[in-house]
Amino acid sequence: MSETGCRHYQSYLKEHSYDTFRVIDAYFAACVNRDAREKKAIHCNCFECGSYGIQLYACLHCIYFGCRGAHITSHLRSKKHNVALELSHGTLYCYACRDFIYDARSREYALINRKLEAKDLQKSLGWQPWIPTAKETNLLLANARRRLVRPNQTIGLRGLLNLGATCFMNCIVQALVHTPLLSDYFMSDRHECGSKSSHKCLVCEVSRLFQEFYSGSRSPLSLHRLLHLIWNHAKHLAGYEQQDAHEFFIATLDVLHRHCVKAKSEHESKSNSSSSGSGGTNSSSSSSSHCYGQCNCIIDQIFTGMLQSDVVCQACNGVSTTFDPFWDISLDLGETTTHGGVTPKTLIDCLERYTRAEHLGSAAKIKCSTCKSYQESTKKFSLRTLPSVVSFHLKRFEHSALIDRKISSFIQFPVEFDMTPFMSEKKNAYGDFRFSLYAVVNHEGTIDTGHYTAYVRHQKDTWVKCDDHLITMASLKQVLDSEGYLLFYHKNVLEYE
Amino acid sequence: MTVSNAVDQFTMLTGDRSKIKDLLCSRLTECGWRDEVRLLCRSILLEKGSNNSFTVEQLVSEVTPKARTLVPDAVKKELLMKIRTILTENENEDDDDDEVEEQEDEP
Repeated sequence: MSETGCRHYQSYLKEHSYDTFRVIDAYFAACVNRDAREKKAIHCNCFECGSYGIQLYACLHCIYFGCRGAHITSHLRSKKHNVALELSHGTLYCYACRDFIYDARSREYALINRKLEAKDLQKSLGWQPWIPTAKETNLLLANARRRLVRPNQTIGLRGLLNLGATCFMNCIVQALVHTPLLSDYFMSDRHECGSKSSHKCLVCEVSRLFQEFYSGSRSPLSLHRLLHLIWNHAKHLAGYEQQDAHEFFIATLDVLHRHCVKAKSEHESKSNSSSSGSGGTNSSSSSSSHCYGQCNCIIDQIFTGMLQSDVVCQACNGVSTTFDPFWDISLDLGETTTHGGVTPKTLIDCLERYTRAEHLGSAAKIKCSTCKSYQESTKKFSLRTLPSVVSFHLKRFEHSALIDRKISSFIQFPVEFDMTPFMSEKKNAYGDFRFSLYAVVNHEGTIDTGHYTAYVRHQKDTWVKCDDHLITMASLKQVLDSEGYLLFYHKNVLEYE
Repeated sequence: MTVSNAVDQFTMLTGDRSKIKDLLCSRLTECGWRDEVRLLCRSILLEKGSNNSFTVEQLVSEVTPKARTLVPDAVKKELLMKIRTILTENENEDDDDDEVEEQEDEP
């Protein structure tokens, strides 16, 4: 069903085409660039009372702006004009129908303008409702049975068999499977693998894993295929001994990222060659190269943030700033060497320490790019951009020349958490950096031997403990009282582009 | 020109108006206001919608006063603080025009 407005709008279009609508929308409703904002600020006020109004309408037949209510309606009535554009939301109004009208093509043009505006102001695009494609509509019709997820339902929970000291893998898989954005991606079947050997693709394997988790079956799963793929692609993790869960997490993200890029380039070259019929040799080699932090694969969209480091020269106060992408934030737990040897007690303490300016000392002089001489300097980290999922790694395992030890001190971490104080640009008045805890990986035992378990948020306010094949209910208190090794936080408000 | 008009013009020019609007929309969605107003519209339509002459203007005029009272104080307060911050920040930047120029050149 397509929307075509009303017959008054159709006859208006015959006479005036879409041009007036497009220009008025671009300049006075969406304000696509600086010029448009200037024009709106100067010219766009009510012709009747001069006010900039709570809600202004623009007549689409002639040059006229008027406030909602009497001012615009008296104009439309006296001039016998029908169509006006409401400017704060960009909705079309028909005076003859006394109603708002919706026309599919006008809405397409309006969306283009909204995208231009968002780009120009570097802001998130407003939320758009989901409109199923033809393929999705057919799928919905063909599968009429719907499944309603109620509280206390166990769908989405599966235990994972321990294949011989593989709890480091099980706890990471549980955390990944319970990452809302990742499950949205895989449950909507978004991974298109161009690779002929999809059994070698880790992304395909994770996709299958999601199907298994949500199949409704309750018996524990065996992750032997996943483990084998990781062994093949991250050689340093191959072998039967216990591995570090954090190392496994980063390696998994890395392999997933590489396979996403590979699948995409192969998928594109395949569709290129089938459309052009000429071998598809023009597929860009740049897309297959390692473009960590800049590509748009699902892993980077969810997990990649940008760290800013400012090195300040103590002689001339010149600042040199560099940016580095990150997948997680590793936090020190030991005593600080300065500030009287304080040990951090909370996650916030750790982050404050992480983002504090650090004096690099006389032994580490750096050549300052401003005054061109080797000087002492300070270095300060801050977060330039945050990913949708922020994971913190509490460095509980300390390896030094003298001793290897595990730091088991209690670090308090919050459920809800605002990251604004740690951002590079605190002046950005619009950023929303609130996060919620959704998974905690714990290590029980000593540095040599131990066992990994995970707490994951199954539904809102429902937590479960995943201990290999055993899944048990857990309270929030248990989660917050646990030691914590890896902490996973999810952004509360998402941005769109 | 009145102060209110000057503020309107200024916020339009900088693009802040559009961002404030977005912020307000997301806060109203988060706190459930949007759903409440939707339900309100629904119940009014169920009551009076059978009457074919009931127009969108009548619906708006009936819903608006109730919807206004439903906006939580916390949201109003936050928005007010944001607008105040934006205006005072600009006041400071106006004193030092060169700095503003430099900042705008950054990518």
